[in-house]
Amino acid sequence: MMQKSDLEGKTIVVTGATSGIGRAAAIALAARGAFVIGVGRSTQRCEETRAAILAEHPEARVDFCLADLGSQRQVRALAAAIRARIAAAGGDKLDVLVNNAGSVSNWYKATEDGYELQFAVNHLAPFLLTHELLPLLRSAPAARVVTVSSASHYRTRMHWADVMYRHAYNCLAAYKQSKLANVLFTAEFNRRIGSRTRICAYAADPGLVNTQIGLKGTGGLVRWVWDRRRGHGVSPAQGAETAVFLASDPEVALSRGFYWKDCEPKMPSRYARNAAHAARLWALSERLCGVTWPDAGADAVRPMVSGPAPALLR
Amino acid sequence: MKRYVCITGAAGGLGKAFVAECASRGWDLFLTDICEAPLQALAQGTERMYNVKVLTYVADLTDPASRAALWDHVRRMGLRFHMLVNVAGIDFEGSFDDRRVEELQTILRLNVENTVEMTRRVLCYRDPARALHIINVSSLAGFYPMPLKAVYAASKRFLLDLSIALNRELRAGGVTVTALCPAGMPTTSDCIEKIAVQGFMGQVTTMNVGQVARKTVRAALRGRAVVIPGAINRTLRFLGGLFPPSFVAYLVNRRWSSSRARLAHEVVEVRTPESLTEGVS
Repeated sequence: MMQKSDLEGKTIVVTGATSGIGRAAAIALAARGAFVIGVGRSTQRCEETRAAILAEHPEARVDFCLADLGSQRQVRALAAAIRARIAAAGGDKLDVLVNNAGSVSNWYKATEDGYELQFAVNHLAPFLLTHELLPLLRSAPAARVVTVSSASHYRTRMHWADVMYRHAYNCLAAYKQSKLANVLFTAEFNRRIGSRTRICAYAADPGLVNTQIGLKGTGGLVRWVWDRRRGHGVSPAQGAETAVFLASDPEVALSRGFYWKDCEPKMPSRYARNAAHAARLWALSERLCGVTWPDAGADAVRPMVSGPAPALLR
Repeated sequence: MKRYVCITGAAGGLGKAFVAECASRGWDLFLTDICEAPLQALAQGTERMYNVKVLTYVADLTDPASRAALWDHVRRMGLRFHMLVNVAGIDFEGSFDDRRVEELQTILRLNVENTVEMTRRVLCYRDPARALHIINVSSLAGFYPMPLKAVYAASKRFLLDLSIALNRELRAGGVTVTALCPAGMPTTSDCIEKIAVQGFMGQVTTMNVGQVARKTVRAALRGRAVVIPGAINRTLRFLGGLFPPSFVAYLVNRRWSSSRARLAHEVVEVRTPESLTEGVS
């Protein structure tokens, strides 16, 4: 699978790149020559990950940006920082955005903006970051937005009456909803943006992976169960394979699938394929982030410069 | 004329829960906090989510001049309130002899002096045609003498008694005063860590902050004097009442000392670098 340097010239942003799936993806993509901009919350962990990548691949190009994706202020600042880093490296485009960062919380916690933490970090942050980076993505010949979702999105629905789960908070229910939101976002992105640009969105299902996501911010039974279950999971490097594949493989564009597991397209849940739910979530997310995506009239497809054909997702 | 809900310490964990609860009822808000950027973010997010009007005012409520400026601002804006939620409160780490005198004074200024002043002044800016509900965030700590949190617990005791007395005294004038007495709440990752360190007791005395805010607002609308969220916390309160205060102090001292040995902290939220916080354990 690894052709050395086949991603030379590509710029890839990976959020949550200091641990678990994101870290493994950042390493794999940097190893293949991509310019990887990782996003993390702690200076120390960013430095440590950067050093680890460079130790293994001295020629790799990696950079890190700091941001707490629970804060919309910081997501906006992050987008500006990414623009600056790409410009400083002499680039003018972003080829792939991997929305990987995710969060689990045992208790209802409100972000700075007053939104429930998991909904904010797992769904609104990718939504807003993708919006903010759209101009850079549109400058790439065949950009991709890969959002790490989960099989948790099956057998659940949007809790429209109380999307933030303020009244009857349940860690797992809120988590499942946020992962469903990732799939709905991906589908709606392709309908609205992908159909008019050369940007394709994909949702990656990493399967059960042995990471610490369920151990940060939880306790008691949830933590115990998560700790037991993750023991059965694959390594982060294996878990990152689908996301890395979606970020890098030209073959992906030949498929109509937008939800992938084990590097194969897979059918997401019926709820996740429902365009009405996706449109409703899109409208809510636009309102909560205070953004409006470019509409059809203003957004004609720009002439092709080079690269493969846009994905066949219409 | 628009009526507002005034919430102090709005950008803290419990403050945000009250903000969401009040906004979800369609009430317009007047929020104050010491941290400007989070306050603005919260106001914007709340307006987007709930489609209500949110006004903000940055104030350091430990400072009498800053409080005077706040009420001057209220007067000039012609604001009227139908609810006041005094969330702003503070504690510092460490035992009594470890704390500087200035820190102890800050606890009294914010928890006691500020709450009394806010409660008194809001009476001048109520809507006479409508009931006024005041919520003071006390603490489960207010029921007991608490070694290692002596000044904090005593300040919360002050708020508890103040609220019960005023609830009776002001009721005829259409004003209710409610004391909220929560146990530790998981509002920041720091708090969550500390609750985890307390083990089983930390888990069972901890409540969802969103539900706490919801129940408290409901209780305030009904004019209840005291709200203790959680059946186990109510049981603890009941059991605590059966023993003499000196014995409860002995037990608390033992328990806190052993928790502190595991982690040299107490369950309290500290958000700003200057340790001036508007959240409460």
